[in-house]
Amino acid sequence: MAAIIELREVSFAYGQTESLALKDLNLTIEEGGFVGVIGPSGAGKSTLASVLSGAIPHHYTGRLYGETRVAGLDTCEASLTDIATIVGSVLQDIDAQMVASVVEDEILFGLENFDVPRDQIEQRLTDALSAVGIAELREREIASLSGGQKQKVAIAAILALAPRVLVLDEPTAALDPISSRAVFDVLREAQRLTGVTVVVIEQMVALLAEYCDRIIVLDNGSVALDGTPHDVFGHSDELRAIGVDSPRTARISNSLASLGLVEVERPALTVDEAQALVMQALDGRTAPTSDMRTRSYAPHDARETGACASRGTAPIVELEGVSFSYGAGCASVDDIDLTVRPGEILGVVGQNGAGKTTLTKLLNGLLKPVSGSVRIAGLDTRSTPVSTLATHVATLFQNPDRQLCRNTVLEEVSFGLELHGVDTTTARERADAVIERFGLPAQSAPFSLSRGQRQMVALAGVVVLDPELIILDEPTSGLDYRECMTVMETVRKRAHMGAAVIMICHDMEVVSDFATRIAIMAQGRILDCGPTHRLFTQSDLLEQASITPPQVIDLSERLADIVDPSFAGITEVSDLVARVKELKHRA
Amino acid sequence: MLNVIDYVPGASLLHRMNPVSKLALAASIILATFLSQSWAMLVGLLMLTLALGAYAGVITRLVSLLKVLTPIALLMLILQLAFVRGGDQVLLFATTEGLATGGRACLRLVGVALPLVLVLTVTKLTDLANACVEVLHVPYKYAFTFTTALRFVPIFTQEMNAIMEAQTARGVEFDTRNPFKKMSLMLPVCIPLLVTSVGKTDATALAAEQRGFYLRTRESSYKRYPLRAADAMAFVFCAAIIALGFIF
Repeated sequence: MAAIIELREVSFAYGQTESLALKDLNLTIEEGGFVGVIGPSGAGKSTLASVLSGAIPHHYTGRLYGETRVAGLDTCEASLTDIATIVGSVLQDIDAQMVASVVEDEILFGLENFDVPRDQIEQRLTDALSAVGIAELREREIASLSGGQKQKVAIAAILALAPRVLVLDEPTAALDPISSRAVFDVLREAQRLTGVTVVVIEQMVALLAEYCDRIIVLDNGSVALDGTPHDVFGHSDELRAIGVDSPRTARISNSLASLGLVEVERPALTVDEAQALVMQALDGRTAPTSDMRTRSYAPHDARETGACASRGTAPIVELEGVSFSYGAGCASVDDIDLTVRPGEILGVVGQNGAGKTTLTKLLNGLLKPVSGSVRIAGLDTRSTPVSTLATHVATLFQNPDRQLCRNTVLEEVSFGLELHGVDTTTARERADAVIERFGLPAQSAPFSLSRGQRQMVALAGVVVLDPELIILDEPTSGLDYRECMTVMETVRKRAHMGAAVIMICHDMEVVSDFATRIAIMAQGRILDCGPTHRLFTQSDLLEQASITPPQVIDLSERLADIVDPSFAGITEVSDLVARVKELKHRA
Repeated sequence: MLNVIDYVPGASLLHRMNPVSKLALAASIILATFLSQSWAMLVGLLMLTLALGAYAGVITRLVSLLKVLTPIALLMLILQLAFVRGGDQVLLFATTEGLATGGRACLRLVGVALPLVLVLTVTKLTDLANACVEVLHVPYKYAFTFTTALRFVPIFTQEMNAIMEAQTARGVEFDTRNPFKKMSLMLPVCIPLLVTSVGKTDATALAAEQRGFYLRTRESSYKRYPLRAADAMAFVFCAAIIALGFIF
């Protein structure tokens, strides 16, 4: 196949800055591929997208070296508009991408501008809408659509222009797992139908592994790894050093291979592949024994008792029969009972619109329940001002930019303490300590930092308060693997020190790694609330809330059913590998 | 989120008219409001606007806007009473002349705001922009700037609300009852709003350019906006309103 994109020795530095966002990047992309780009934050992923779409050098200024050709066209010589006829791009901020207020007009905009003949416009319009499966949304106001639907509109608007390359910058960052998968399905279908080359920047490794035929790992502005998903995820140690996650199944197969338990030609990327691999490793093993079932719960039991130990202490959060509604047809919560005690990390999972964010706003007092009562540290939110509740509850919002308002990181972190009446000197001292622990630049302006660092600043502002209850709304979205782990380890430490944590999270792997208990929400109700592992194994419940279980739990449940019951209850890669090793030796 | 200037779908004649005629209609009502000196005419024009709104099914929007405008209009009345003195004294510092001038100013304020909002509620922004470009030969750049600015109003309102919520949750006393304290607390919050706004605008500019913004001409629009018989009648009606405003 012919190359549609060729980058030769491309380097770029934004504005007057010294540091290079891209360094001597060489890259060739063949026409018709489905290419995933991944890397830690600051690796140059978005910069690469801008280079491909011509936004660099035509929109962002800076120093650009090397040569970029799209379909033979040098992007420095061609105009942005000419490049746009070949490369269509979907930006990270989907609201900013929109130019019209109605779906139909949004798609017409490009078609009209590029002078598509009038008799073809209707056809192109309907084709684009049906290609992404939103024909019924044609007349809708864009403002009334969900995040996933908006993303599809943005893709349709670009597909209508029939570009040869489609570049997407983190299209699923704000979406729940089901919508994310739907977006990738749309991309795959579009690629199959029109032969368009898809280049997608993405953090969700499991999606990349499943949909892409090639994965490029960026690190420090150049290509670190490049190959098929099986090639790339075979290097899970290298990936981890770079700061990129691998699918858990790949980690399992890589560990099994390095222990010599099984011959692995290529890493397992799906639960099916991993299951086959483990069964191959245990080939010829004896029939399941029943007495081991209780023992296998051991790693998980430890966590549960951790939660149980605090049973005696007074709960921090007490919700009784809480209902709230914004009005007909809007997100609401209905008859919620919930108790959270110190030391617990409660994960709240469910689809977008299930009422999770409404729940957090009820907890920090921004919303008052219509019926029922919310008590935080003994205070009824209905009669306590939000600013008073704030001394007990600290919230980390999904978008850190909404929380930041000071000129330096130091001022920002100490701001919350000062609001709570701590004098400036003490506040600065405490803030300094936290900033140092997080490794943040104290004197920089928060808005000059990267997305991940801004999230860390916001988190530092939460941790410094030493609150009794920490609420996290999507703490890991937009963060790379390493940042995600730093954030979550910090949160776990807080919980050990006696804070209660409630976290909303779409990443089931993170939930299963860190939450001691989960609440599954759907249609404004809590379907069930209990120990993380127990709920993650109840497939009918998960289905009801449209949640896919974490890979490791899915795999261990399947193995428990087919191979040996002692696999039941395993939640971590290392435990599963150890179990396989033990069984193999016994056999 | 519901916004006063959001489009309300409908199929009334007012919805189907050429956006340019609707603008002309609003403009002539506004012009007549400024020209007219008689109370009857001013009230009549206001009634006309409300009647049109009722016909197009957007009366609730106009009424909710009236609720917002009334305190402002009353404030204006008090100011006028204080500054325009003449004629007989009615009560305290109020004089007959002050009442007459102030009252008219109030009616004009409301009479100017309502027709514009009426046009926006019965016209899609894109249609308004395209029709202005096609019929009035307005450069598309200006039409796009105007419609984008209007479209950003609810987006920025939402953003502002989210920021205020986040800051409230941190302990900033936005729930204070003192309005002056609230104002002073809001100032620092403008920084994040400004930062996100600039970022969003820049991204929109880029997205528009990547979809051929600079190639767009007067003929680009897929939908056409011809002037029909109803529009011709609307123009006659407009002329009549202006003439009436001039006479009375």
